[in-house]
Amino acid sequence: MTELIQVIILGLLIGGVYALLASGLTLIFGVMDVINVAQGALIILAAFVTWALWDATGLDPLAGLLVTTPMMFVIGYGLYMGTIRWIQGKPPSTSVLLTFGLALVAEGVMGLVWSANLHSATPSYFNQSFRLGDFYFPKAQVFGCAIAVGVLVFLYIVLTRTWLGRAIRAVSANMSSARLVGVNPRDVAALTFAIGVATTGAGGSIAAVLYPFLPGSHYAWISRLLGIIVLGGMGSLPGAVVGALMLGVAETMTATYISPRWATMVPWAVIMIVLLARPQGLLGAKLREDVAV
Amino acid sequence: MSQAVARALDSRPFRLLSGPGLRLLVAAALVGIALYPILSDNRYYQNMIILTLLFAIMGSGWNIISGFTGYVSLGQSVFLGIGAYTTALFSVRLFGPENPGEQGVNPFWFVPVAAVVAGIFAAVVGAILMRTRGHSFVILTIAFLFVMQLVTLNWSGLTNGNHGLTLPLTTWDREYQYWPFYYALFGLMLLSVALSWWIRRSKLGMGLVAIREDEDKAASVGVNTPIYKVLAYVGSAVFIGAAGGVYAYYLTFIDPRGMFDIVISVQVVLAVLIGGRGTIWGPVLGAFILEPLLETTNTELGIGGNERLILLGVLLGLIVLLLPRGIIPSIQDLVTGQREKARGGLVGARLERKPLRVVERAQAEAREAPPGPLLEIRGAEKRFGGVRAVDGVSLAVERGTITALIGPNGSGKTTLFNLIDGTMPPDRGEIWFDGKRIDGLPPYRRAHLGIGRTFQITRLFRNMSVLENVVAPLRDFSWRRLGADAVSGPEAQRAHELLEFVGMHRFADMRAGSLSYGQQKLTELAQVLMLDPKLIMLDEPAGGINPTLIAHIEEMVHELNRQGTTFLIVEHNMPLVLGLCDPVLVLARGQCICQGSPDEVQADPAVLDAYLGADFALEQKAGVS
Amino acid sequence: MRRIVWLLALLPVLLALVFAAGCGGDDDDGGDAGGTDTGATDDGEASGEPIRIGASLPLTGDFSEPGEAARRGYEVWVEMTNEAGGLLGRPVELIVKDDQSDQNLVVTDYNALINQDQVDLLLGTFSSLLNLPASAVAEQAGMVYVEPAGGSPEMFSRGFEYLFFAQQAVSIHQADLFSEWVVNLPEGEKPATAAYVAADDPFGGPVAEGVQNQLEAGGVETVYSEIYPPETVNFDAIASAIAAEQPDVIAQGSAGLQDGVNLIRALQRVGYSPQQMFQASTPSFADQYSDAIGIENTEGIFFAVSYHVDAETPGNTEFLEEYRAAYDEDPAEDAADAFAAAEVLQAAVEAVGEIDQDAIRDWLRENEVETILGPLSWDETGAPEQAYLLAQWQGGDEQIILPEDVATSDTIVNPKPPWSGR
Repeated sequence: MTELIQVIILGLLIGGVYALLASGLTLIFGVMDVINVAQGALIILAAFVTWALWDATGLDPLAGLLVTTPMMFVIGYGLYMGTIRWIQGKPPSTSVLLTFGLALVAEGVMGLVWSANLHSATPSYFNQSFRLGDFYFPKAQVFGCAIAVGVLVFLYIVLTRTWLGRAIRAVSANMSSARLVGVNPRDVAALTFAIGVATTGAGGSIAAVLYPFLPGSHYAWISRLLGIIVLGGMGSLPGAVVGALMLGVAETMTATYISPRWATMVPWAVIMIVLLARPQGLLGAKLREDVAV
Repeated sequence: MSQAVARALDSRPFRLLSGPGLRLLVAAALVGIALYPILSDNRYYQNMIILTLLFAIMGSGWNIISGFTGYVSLGQSVFLGIGAYTTALFSVRLFGPENPGEQGVNPFWFVPVAAVVAGIFAAVVGAILMRTRGHSFVILTIAFLFVMQLVTLNWSGLTNGNHGLTLPLTTWDREYQYWPFYYALFGLMLLSVALSWWIRRSKLGMGLVAIREDEDKAASVGVNTPIYKVLAYVGSAVFIGAAGGVYAYYLTFIDPRGMFDIVISVQVVLAVLIGGRGTIWGPVLGAFILEPLLETTNTELGIGGNERLILLGVLLGLIVLLLPRGIIPSIQDLVTGQREKARGGLVGARLERKPLRVVERAQAEAREAPPGPLLEIRGAEKRFGGVRAVDGVSLAVERGTITALIGPNGSGKTTLFNLIDGTMPPDRGEIWFDGKRIDGLPPYRRAHLGIGRTFQITRLFRNMSVLENVVAPLRDFSWRRLGADAVSGPEAQRAHELLEFVGMHRFADMRAGSLSYGQQKLTELAQVLMLDPKLIMLDEPAGGINPTLIAHIEEMVHELNRQGTTFLIVEHNMPLVLGLCDPVLVLARGQCICQGSPDEVQADPAVLDAYLGADFALEQKAGVS
Repeated sequence: MRRIVWLLALLPVLLALVFAAGCGGDDDDGGDAGGTDTGATDDGEASGEPIRIGASLPLTGDFSEPGEAARRGYEVWVEMTNEAGGLLGRPVELIVKDDQSDQNLVVTDYNALINQDQVDLLLGTFSSLLNLPASAVAEQAGMVYVEPAGGSPEMFSRGFEYLFFAQQAVSIHQADLFSEWVVNLPEGEKPATAAYVAADDPFGGPVAEGVQNQLEAGGVETVYSEIYPPETVNFDAIASAIAAEQPDVIAQGSAGLQDGVNLIRALQRVGYSPQQMFQASTPSFADQYSDAIGIENTEGIFFAVSYHVDAETPGNTEFLEEYRAAYDEDPAEDAADAFAAAEVLQAAVEAVGEIDQDAIRDWLRENEVETILGPLSWDETGAPEQAYLLAQWQGGDEQIILPEDVATSDTIVNPKPPWSGR
């Protein structure tokens, strides 16, 4: 029993971080119908920058997010204006191919700059845990999860309480109507993309502490993120949180009770089952099936 | 300037060059590739061509499901892995040598087995995956690839897991080292291209293109979309599986990560995009551009893995943004575009109608019809979230009538049409057609039973010609006819007749997307007639077209009705409705509030209140109609 | 429209440039490279037609770290050989291609080396996954293939004649000395239970499997045995599960540096330290390893290596001198293995006196070669017949403890002290 609870604790702690990473992806999809396959690579990029800062200046990696988040925001904005903007409205495969291309370029660039060895930011607490009775809570995971929750709450406030947030939700719901009420969809799309990518900044910094990474790690991340947003419902932020927690626990339990070998299968299995049985996921909106007028 | 260019492109020499001349060029290239190993011992280039042929085969296969049918798969290399492992397992585990260093059964014998196994996977998995579309399908193909990789990795009892499988070394003379692989792949490439070509010119291919253009429309005109899609997926897989078998033997060693690799899938897509998706030779051209480029940059220029990734990524981005259609279609567009500029357009030409030859079958059926209404709806309900679009509608359409369905906007008329033709299932209620219950049937089955429907905003297959649009609808599903030429036989004959009937026969070769709205409506009607339907549902036939054309359509409706076709028409044009139709059904707020003759309906206070308004009644009395 | 024209114009130009740059090597004569020039006879002067040796290595991609180390090993050998008068009196030229850790490319690379570059001799690449297809190319071309790193059993089960593995043992036997030592411990000290965890990898897997087989046969109960995908970075669940079983021994068939380090970190987090701990290759990463887990935590950890900096093997001192001068640090195990592979090839070529692949093959079959790894000899499948060294971290240094005749320390730390710094 103890082991089960410990496993669940570990799963939830990871799930919190996953939630932050998935939020950007689901936000981008919800607003502009683009699956940003490069999200994984951007996470790794933020991790590398965090590591470089830590390596050069000793700056605590978790504090590094103060640098990486704005940096990724700018990068996201630039990517949108430079490439994504031109393919809005095209069929889904186009956005997947284009963003896959971006991911490959990012992987190559990171490999050139930092080489393909595994890197890991290891501040003093990376191998320590908090103890509570029979259970242990790895410190890095706890800090990371706490920060992730904080950023998510901040994101939620932006989405619900600010004008920009409302504009984003309007465009997400109905682009032409949003235009009618004075919202410029292109600006909103650019900002949304930038925000979505900015979350990888914070998430990447946290990931840099939790897991060693190399440029090729983005595949593992994007598979997880896709699994999460599919499970939670593509486009739904609360869905991403729920999906992330569930996936974190599922992965950890599979690794413990079945085998670590099958843990990597979990996101893909989730994707297949959900897309085939209930495509809108847990909390996603069921689209009106009308023939369009 | 463009006039001169256009004239040049239209001239005989250029036509010779781009027609037979081009074919000669392709033939010469093929002969060159075929003879290369005989003329040159250089195994480095032989290796390069082998890899290129592999990609050409994979691209050609991908093209069938993603180019023709529009279902973009990003995990097509899964079939390479399936084929490779099938061959390896058969030749190592089942028919392997007794001792190391000995030869078992030559793996080439298992290449056809690999093709069959790949096809079986495609059929089974395709049937499941292709219930989804768009984003979901793309993601699912990637998931399929990774799941196969993981299963192969973890099922080590069968596949030897991460250790991989080693195949025996080749037994023949070093001199001809690569020849069997080279020619096997060359042959497979030719077969793959031939399959592509055969599909494209067949009815199957036309159906696939229709699915790509507008899947729901294709279903509503009788194309059996589930089977067509699975056939396309199987066709896209078999030669890739065979190639996988050959490739496994060539490498002599396969492992799960190498054989189920997403980057290879992406490379395949890139190659086809470069050459031109949806064309026959595009995938081959793309492979012959991309593969040598990648190989050469690695070996000659010593470019490392990172630069290669960047190169791939940049190419992918450039192609998607700047040249999404690929080389061959872009050149084709350029040429035909220029040519068409030089010629005048047909769009303004007159429409000339002819009377329609009656089809014997339709008349025979009309004589033998069972009693009772042709279409009956009992208690149908449909809601979208909180909105009850159709709220308990029960009505009947009698045989041989021209029945009108009117009602204010938002009363549920189009939704009701969608329930009848199968575009969406009712939440509750029954729909009966010609004595059979149809509310559980898919749209193409209903089309086969004799329901035809036009759309408020016309839906045609825009990139096909008018004639192709009219030939596309299918009266029933027949395996034998799948392989027939797309535009041929009695169907083509009938299509011409129908086009003459609606007056569009002069536009037969024009691209449907460039027609005017009214012409599209006529073409859509001709499409529907191709099904020899018992019931034709017209959704606002008079909307957005001029009065002369309205009269034209009215004449056609009368003529068809005389021949025995029943009509159900949704219309807002009251004079047309009241003059043409009897009975009239009135819908308001999702319910049928009245039915009867035009006079009865006009006088009904509930109708007047909901829809017509007191003003109209006044205008009628004043004699304006 | 204009965009398309630009692109269509650019692409062929780009391609033409690439091909022009690349088209330097087409030739009609493929197959075996011959060439038996005798060079000048001056002592200490290499002159005449260079002997060209070709190899492909994963300089980029997943195996780039060991790939780079191997390249250094080869380069140092070339330097030293040329300084000493070359091979058969002729200067040695090394051509290294990057296979980007990709199996398809490695086949292309070796084909290019044999056909385009027309090299006289071949050297192997890193990792069984790459060496398996590459060795087939060499075998079919009839060229001797000495590989520095690729000990998976599959390599030696194909009946190849030209293949030779330049390490002391194949992967399943690498930890034999450790297993023997454990099984032979006296009753009070001998462990009762063991946990095995291995990377799903042709190297890591067999090492752990070897230990498990021998320990089970020796009466040690297995309480946990799992395999993880090599790219696993999160070991918390695994560590937690292991800790729940409280095994005396933990043996990890790690694939490289990071998975070994991460398991230890996870064990630290969960607060479990076994009596004996064995890791396949990770502890051989010297400073990187001790920095990663903390130098106090290295105490008592066992590992098996093919090479040790202090080993008194022939040529080791000179090798170290040259390597340190060139790269300012101690060589990694992979660099030493690569150097040894080149030494093997050199010994055979010099013994035979000319570049004759079949003669070289036959000589290696029958003879032993002295390398910086110790003596090496092979059975008829190309698998080596010696044993790996057993090493242990003691007092912040890596020490060889078995076999005794090459040991650098006479003590063995047992049991392992608990993790510190918590």
